[in-house]
Amino acid sequence: MTERDVYRLPRERLGALVARLERDYRVLGPAPRGDTYAWEELRPGDPVSLDYPTTMLPLRALLAPQREVLFTFRRGDDGEVAFDPPADERPLALLGVHGCDLTGLRVLRAFHDSGTRDRLVTNRLDRAFIVGLACWVPCLGEAFCRDMGSLDNEIPADLYAWDIGDVLLVKVLTNRGRDVLTEVTPMEAATAEEVVTLRRRLRVRLEAFPQHLKFAPERLPIALEAAEGDLLWDANADRCLSCGRCNLVCPTCTCFDVTDASPLDGRTGVRVRTWTGCQVTGFSRVAGGHDFRPGRAQQLRYRIFRKGKYMPERYGMVGCTGCGRCPHHCPTRISIREIFRQVGGTA
Amino acid sequence: MVQNRMIPEPCRIYEAMQQTPREVHFVVEAPKREPFRPEPGQFVMISIPGIGEAPISLAALPGEGAAEGTFEMLIRRAGRLTNLITRLKPGDTMYVRGPFGRRVTWEKFEGSNLILIAGGLGLAPLRPFVQRSLLHRELFRRIDILVGARAPEEILFKEDLASWSARRDDVRVLVSVDAARSTWSGRIGVITTLFDEIDADVEDAYAFICGPPVMYRHCLRKLLGMGLYENHLWMTLERRMKCGIGLCGNCQMNGLYVCQEGPLFSYREVRHLKEAV
Ligand SMILES: Cc1cc2nc3c(=O)[nH]c(=O)nc-3n(C[C@H](O)[C@H](O)[C@H](O)COP(=O)(O)OP(=O)(O)OC[C@H]3O[C@@H](n4cnc5c(N)ncnc54)[C@H](O)[C@@H]3O)c2cc1C
Ligand code: SF4
Ligand code: FES
Repeated sequence: MTERDVYRLPRERLGALVARLERDYRVLGPAPRGDTYAWEELRPGDPVSLDYPTTMLPLRALLAPQREVLFTFRRGDDGEVAFDPPADERPLALLGVHGCDLTGLRVLRAFHDSGTRDRLVTNRLDRAFIVGLACWVPCLGEAFCRDMGSLDNEIPADLYAWDIGDVLLVKVLTNRGRDVLTEVTPMEAATAEEVVTLRRRLRVRLEAFPQHLKFAPERLPIALEAAEGDLLWDANADRCLSCGRCNLVCPTCTCFDVTDASPLDGRTGVRVRTWTGCQVTGFSRVAGGHDFRPGRAQQLRYRIFRKGKYMPERYGMVGCTGCGRCPHHCPTRISIREIFRQVGGTA
Repeated sequence: MVQNRMIPEPCRIYEAMQQTPREVHFVVEAPKREPFRPEPGQFVMISIPGIGEAPISLAALPGEGAAEGTFEMLIRRAGRLTNLITRLKPGDTMYVRGPFGRRVTWEKFEGSNLILIAGGLGLAPLRPFVQRSLLHRELFRRIDILVGARAPEEILFKEDLASWSARRDDVRVLVSVDAARSTWSGRIGVITTLFDEIDADVEDAYAFICGPPVMYRHCLRKLLGMGLYENHLWMTLERRMKCGIGLCGNCQMNGLYVCQEGPLFSYREVRHLKEAV
């Protein structure tokens, strides 16, 4: 790493950072919820806890919500319908985003930049203020973020923080990041001792994050292509319940369903999109009942191919961040990491 | 401001003609927000706010088969939305977005023989191909139109078939039904049995196939066996579609988005894809 543009943020100044961001943004940070964590709104004065493993839902839940109104409509007395796009929202500030979730946002951006830009999503992405946070230990046993290049990823953060104890070392990555940091700290450079501590912790970290794959993720498209007819898909599909949880928790899934909701009078209503996914039965079924991807093996292969082959080929970024959520939440522990490992082999 | 591309536009229904008990032929005012200049093989998303939205093929293009400023569709009752849409009457409004899908321009087809193949409802998306080729008849050599239906009473666009058949010397129309009672004097058999009657020079022929999913493999197999080039075989593929603009993901076929890269594809473009046909 380079120590240029790395500044000290004493832990007790975190509150000042929240207060500063709150002026322009809706500030969110990780908070315990049940036996997991979720992104919740932070108010000035709220305790800021940056020490969290991971959230169950990926960050896209805030940028492309699970249920989102596309427009509202009103039917006038003449029967004509008028449409209103959703109202503007406060931009988001996200505090303490881990490398895998930063990668997830990068993939989301690549997805929209390569095709139709979904303004509802890209507006949120453009305006969001993002504070990244380095991980020291894997949050989930199933994580393989190091293999997928997410562990060190700092993009698209405005500020990126290493928590080394009493003080956070904060790297400035954008101009608006600098502006905000300048307002909450005197912009003191990290001391030599702090830099040494940081370097040591980064070295030690490599042991905490062992490598799982014996090949570089860039090779995934070729490795998968060669494995298209493998029995591996059947072997995993034998355990799959088609519950779709893997789609739900994935930071790079983007598929949605569209439905209308209207009170009984039919005069007003909304068209909404809700998350759906390729592992849900019926996802690729058309009128007449034909399913273009029948069978769990095909559906499972499709999901893995989309992440490891179609997305890199189409958007220039592998669609798996290595966050470990899908194997962790899968009721039968089907693991994309194990599938990648088996498909990629030892050379 | 960039338009929210999910918001539809009201379009007046000019005509609604019941073709069979479950299919209605609509003539509709074309959307005006942006120039509406579709190519054969494209589709629109139609909706009734409060009910839902569905992809429907263009069955006639403005200024070609349909009058300027209008377009046509054939809609089959298949569920909640289409059951309601097919009850709409002239003067009513439907809500439209589009056109969507790939624009395939026609220069490459000029000077060739055309084999136009439709099974069932596939005649709706195929109709603009027929209309375009008849409108510029001098640009093509032989034109064969092959139509299959399950039963005589399910044959669609009968008036069109009659008027195309009437152009005896420059177009050949062959119709076959899978099964029929004795009153039917036409051909009986699956659509591929009609292929034996094609005598166009296959080296120089383009085929266009629109039909139900099961039809493609049979047709492709036969046409390839007859010697057509793989990049001369064109087909429109149907997938579940919820946006039409490459966002919702429902239409993905391996790494392709059918709503954008299709629904019109050549066999050569998709032959390596396990999920294509
Ligand atoms: C490119 C394209 C062109 C089409 N052209 C025509 C046409 O010209 N004429 C015509 O009658 N039909 C056409 N269809 C089929 C038509 O879109 C479906 O019949 C319609 O979506 C059913 O909607 P519904 O609300 O009435 O039925 P639903 O009650 O929603 O569902 C009935 C059935 O349709 C399936 N379905 C639901 N939504 C979709 C969807 N968005 N896309 C595909 N299947 C879906 C469901 O799985 C179910 O099996 C086309 C489909 C596509 C993809
Ligand atoms: S979470 Fe596991 S069981 Fe559920 S659909 Fe995904 S792979 Fe199948
Ligand atoms: S229909 Fe939504 S992505 Fe193709």
